[in-house]
Amino acid sequence: MKHRVTSALTLVAALFVLPFVATTASQAEPLRIEITDGVIEPLPFAVPDFVAENAAGSEFASQIARVVAEDLTGTGLFREIPKDAFISTVTNFNSPVQYADWKAINAQALIVGAVMVSGNNVTVKFRLFDVFSGAALGDGLQFGGTTTSWRRMAHKVADAAYSRITGEGAYFDSRVVYVSETGPKNDRKKRLAIMDYDGANVQFLTDSRSLVLAPRFSPTGDRVLYTSYESGFPKIYVLDVASVGRRALADQPGTMTFAPRFSPNGQTVVYSLSAGGNTDIYRMDIGGGAAVRLTSEPSIETAPSFSPDGKQIVFESDRSGNQQLYIMSANGGEARRISFGAGRYGTPVWSPRGDLIAFTKQNGGRFHIGVMRVDGSEERLLTGAFLDEGPSWSPNGRVIMFMRETAGAGGAVSLWSVDISGRNLRQIKTDGGASDPAWSPLLK
Amino acid sequence: MATGHYISGIGHGALLAWAIIGGLFSRVPDDAIEVAAVSIISSEEFAALSAPQPAPEVEQNIPTPPQPEIEDAPTPPVVEAPPEVTTPPVEDIPPPADVAPDVVEAPPPVPDAVETPPEVAQPPVEDSPVVLAPPATTSSPRPAPRVAPTPVEAPPPDTEVAEQVQEAPTPEADTPTPSEVDEATAPEEATDRIVTEADEPPSSAPTRSSRPSARPKRPEPAIETAATHSTSDAIRDALEEVQQEVAATQTAAPTGPPMTGGEKESLRVAVSSCWNLGSSSTEAMRTTVIVNVSMSREGKPDDISLLSSNGSSNAATQTAFDAARRAIIRCAKGGYKLPTEKYSHWREIEMTFNPEKMRIK
Repeated sequence: MKHRVTSALTLVAALFVLPFVATTASQAEPLRIEITDGVIEPLPFAVPDFVAENAAGSEFASQIARVVAEDLTGTGLFREIPKDAFISTVTNFNSPVQYADWKAINAQALIVGAVMVSGNNVTVKFRLFDVFSGAALGDGLQFGGTTTSWRRMAHKVADAAYSRITGEGAYFDSRVVYVSETGPKNDRKKRLAIMDYDGANVQFLTDSRSLVLAPRFSPTGDRVLYTSYESGFPKIYVLDVASVGRRALADQPGTMTFAPRFSPNGQTVVYSLSAGGNTDIYRMDIGGGAAVRLTSEPSIETAPSFSPDGKQIVFESDRSGNQQLYIMSANGGEARRISFGAGRYGTPVWSPRGDLIAFTKQNGGRFHIGVMRVDGSEERLLTGAFLDEGPSWSPNGRVIMFMRETAGAGGAVSLWSVDISGRNLRQIKTDGGASDPAWSPLLK
Repeated sequence: MATGHYISGIGHGALLAWAIIGGLFSRVPDDAIEVAAVSIISSEEFAALSAPQPAPEVEQNIPTPPQPEIEDAPTPPVVEAPPEVTTPPVEDIPPPADVAPDVVEAPPPVPDAVETPPEVAQPPVEDSPVVLAPPATTSSPRPAPRVAPTPVEAPPPDTEVAEQVQEAPTPEADTPTPSEVDEATAPEEATDRIVTEADEPPSSAPTRSSRPSARPKRPEPAIETAATHSTSDAIRDALEEVQQEVAATQTAAPTGPPMTGGEKESLRVAVSSCWNLGSSSTEAMRTTVIVNVSMSREGKPDDISLLSSNGSSNAATQTAFDAARRAIIRCAKGGYKLPTEKYSHWREIEMTFNPEKMRIK
């Protein structure tokens, strides 16, 4: 009984004490502030020339640092601090970083690297530092290869730095296949070419005897689908990048096949087939076999593109009387329309992240490259020009490359890229005209 | 029975007395009657009054403001017709397969002797940014490499970019030439939202943007269960815990007047100006992080730790936290201007970095 009374008294005491304590404790809470307004500007970084660890390495030490800097600056997310502003010099890869010197020039990231060349082999190593935190961002990395592939090693250094700072995948060690165009507009020669993502190392994959269109990389980057007018009618070919060997695909007499694209697993191809005045979407195994018809509308269905999981296909159709975007199952069936804005929509491409669809839009006498969510919401136009067309996603889904043609009889075609925010619109350097870009996955 | 009559009689009497004395039957005063003066007018006068007002005369001499020329399309640099590239047939020169570089991790640097260089004197952090020009609310925003809460006009050429505005001195005849020439400074050009090429003609501007999501919930503390304790034990434990908390609170409780709203706002603005999301991934731009900052008396952060995050991945959380940490450290170069007498109030600061507004710019 006594115990019960004690417990009851304790409980009553607790009921009286607790509110008081709660009030007092609230006074000891930390100061709380919420920050919602920041700035969006390129992050300043410094890349001193890489340290040449032997005499032969000095040939590449500066060049590799330049490529790394250009890769990062080209994203629009970073700003290089010029060398003449440096206070510190880096002469030894293992020397402690003088953070105060880099802070003084507002370098927020610092890339220090070293190069060693022995014979035909080159070794590149680097470390990335967060200057204001005074610590390395991740461990150092080392790459080895031949001297002819030094640019790839520079791209890999930039890829690693980009990923560690931004927290997302990069795209510098990748290639682009496109249609190289020469000659006047009324007699233009077109052939397939491949280059590094930044326009370096151009190589031609076909000659200019026949018209070629719309090349598309396989998910592994070793094959290319494209359309050729070699026979006088459009026909799909698959080309091996390493050997430049090719073979016709979906070769059905009396039909025209075009707009091919690989499935995410690389085993299937979707394409458009035009026969009897009607164009529909078909699917076929890359090894051949029977074609499966996925659409059967009397309208024109073309430009199919798989979702990253391979379960859906986005395509363009004029079944509503106007060219719009639709999504259907990868096995065909009923499609749902996702574009409802003014104008005409075409050439949809599903983002490798799966969240966005890039497209070409024609409205009010201008062409735009834009993106929208998979359900058609949040449409954003990123560019606007006389003729912008054919978007292609970077491997990380952050950048879109496309073709731009200027007006007039002497209109020139060129490749451009833009960040999905709409910033950093820039032209890709190519020798001569270029159109129909297709971005490869990251190289292995 | 008689008692009931008495009570009833007294009650009724009291009621009648109240009705008479309390004024129930008194006359309610009439409301004051409003009187308005009227005048009689003729039908001609009425017609003149009710006739429609003549339209204002259009001033023909007002010059029309010149319309900016809107080009149909920005003209990229004209590329001349490229010469025919004399490359031998492709089949003869297949592209060489690149050797994939081997990736080997290098050991992190071993600092032989970490030198502590003297601290570089930095200009003090201003409480609030100085606005140079009023935000352009009537004209279309221009693209600028910097997106900030307050748009800033492009500084004149040859003007040094600085936080403070400083006019170049005007040379006067009588003034002796100073030994050091002051140069004009102005803040960096900024816009308050991302302007794309498609924005240039107003008709094709994006019309929709993403809805901001709800603020993330703080993680709820785990509830411990003690099934074996009796009620009295639990109460006793709770009381002891409460007493300990009281003791701890009494020692850590801040003293003196609390931080004012202006002081808090000053700190918020100072950190905001260094919070750069320009290099954040799109996923990190959707991540809110709450960090705890332990401050020294000099207003510099001693320790920064992540308290919670709503990031969907570790990479996004880490990127968002890195950006927050950089902001806190960068803008504390000279120490935040906080009232030292209120140190106990800002010794621990919990900062929430919420990029919601930045994401939709």
